[in-house]
Amino acid sequence: MHLILTDAAPIHWAIGGAAIGAITLALLYIGNRRLGVSTGFENICALVVHTPYFTRQSLVSSHSWRLPLLTGLFLGGVLSALLAGGWETTWALGMFDAEIGWGNGGKLLWMFGGGLLIGFGTRLAGGCTSGHGIFGMSNLELPSIISTVCFMAAGIVTTNLIYRVIL
Amino acid sequence: MKTSPLMMLFYLGLGTVFGLVLSRSGAADYNFIQGMFLLEEFQLYGIIGTAVAVTAPGLYFLKRYGKTATGEKLQFERKPGHRGNIYGGFLFGIGWAITGMCPGPILVNIGEGKLYAIAALAGTLVGAGSFGALYPKLQGIFKLPSLQVGTGEG
Repeated sequence: MHLILTDAAPIHWAIGGAAIGAITLALLYIGNRRLGVSTGFENICALVVHTPYFTRQSLVSSHSWRLPLLTGLFLGGVLSALLAGGWETTWALGMFDAEIGWGNGGKLLWMFGGGLLIGFGTRLAGGCTSGHGIFGMSNLELPSIISTVCFMAAGIVTTNLIYRVIL
Repeated sequence: MKTSPLMMLFYLGLGTVFGLVLSRSGAADYNFIQGMFLLEEFQLYGIIGTAVAVTAPGLYFLKRYGKTATGEKLQFERKPGHRGNIYGGFLFGIGWAITGMCPGPILVNIGEGKLYAIAALAGTLVGAGSFGALYPKLQGIFKLPSLQVGTGEG
């Protein structure tokens, strides 16, 4: 299978996985920080919302490392597109276009709805693929193992419902 | 713990490398995520499995060594256990399948120029914001830790 962005095969999974492991360890060894992306959404919310939840010390004190990390993730995407032959905007959504075929407005609604579940769900779970799936599982933390089993199971059921049952 | 401008640059650079890897490995690709959940594509299982296989022993030895590169005491919080781990995990899994993006890749997809990912980010921020606003109510329902501890910094 090819990537939507480059229309070329991805890098080997072993290289991708080893790189993510190295990044996780570098963040801990050099920065003394535990990898986790989803709390970063709270850091963004905290820039405009000033309720007790968003002004708690543990969150505010992490602005200075989570916000640069999140900005970097965005820049990594930009760099990837540039290296692939030039940055351009696109609505291409692979299988979704081929089998569901909604227009741009429909895609925005679909993505917004999914995003609500991601934002609420990851914060209720206390982590996402990085904080629970990679760091937490590597550290053999029971809450992370439970959460990872739950989000993988829910993803498998949802995608199979969409592409194998409904369509 | 103060963060120096040099360290901020480090986090920015590390995030950029992370984003590049997510972009080119398939972790930020709608089709590869659906392929993972349809149990048709091994790619993402290979990535997550290898990442854990590299991180776990590294973490074990770093904890035994107990210090960071600058000689600081190594310290990080373990995730608290609560009902939200289960219910939040289910909700996140549904959202991941719908969008084809988990939190990191949302930002990577926007960077790549995929316009619909902006709606995913908007939804995510509203979702996280609502969670924070409802925290006092959710705390009782899901037996969540006190506000200062939180559900787990992830």
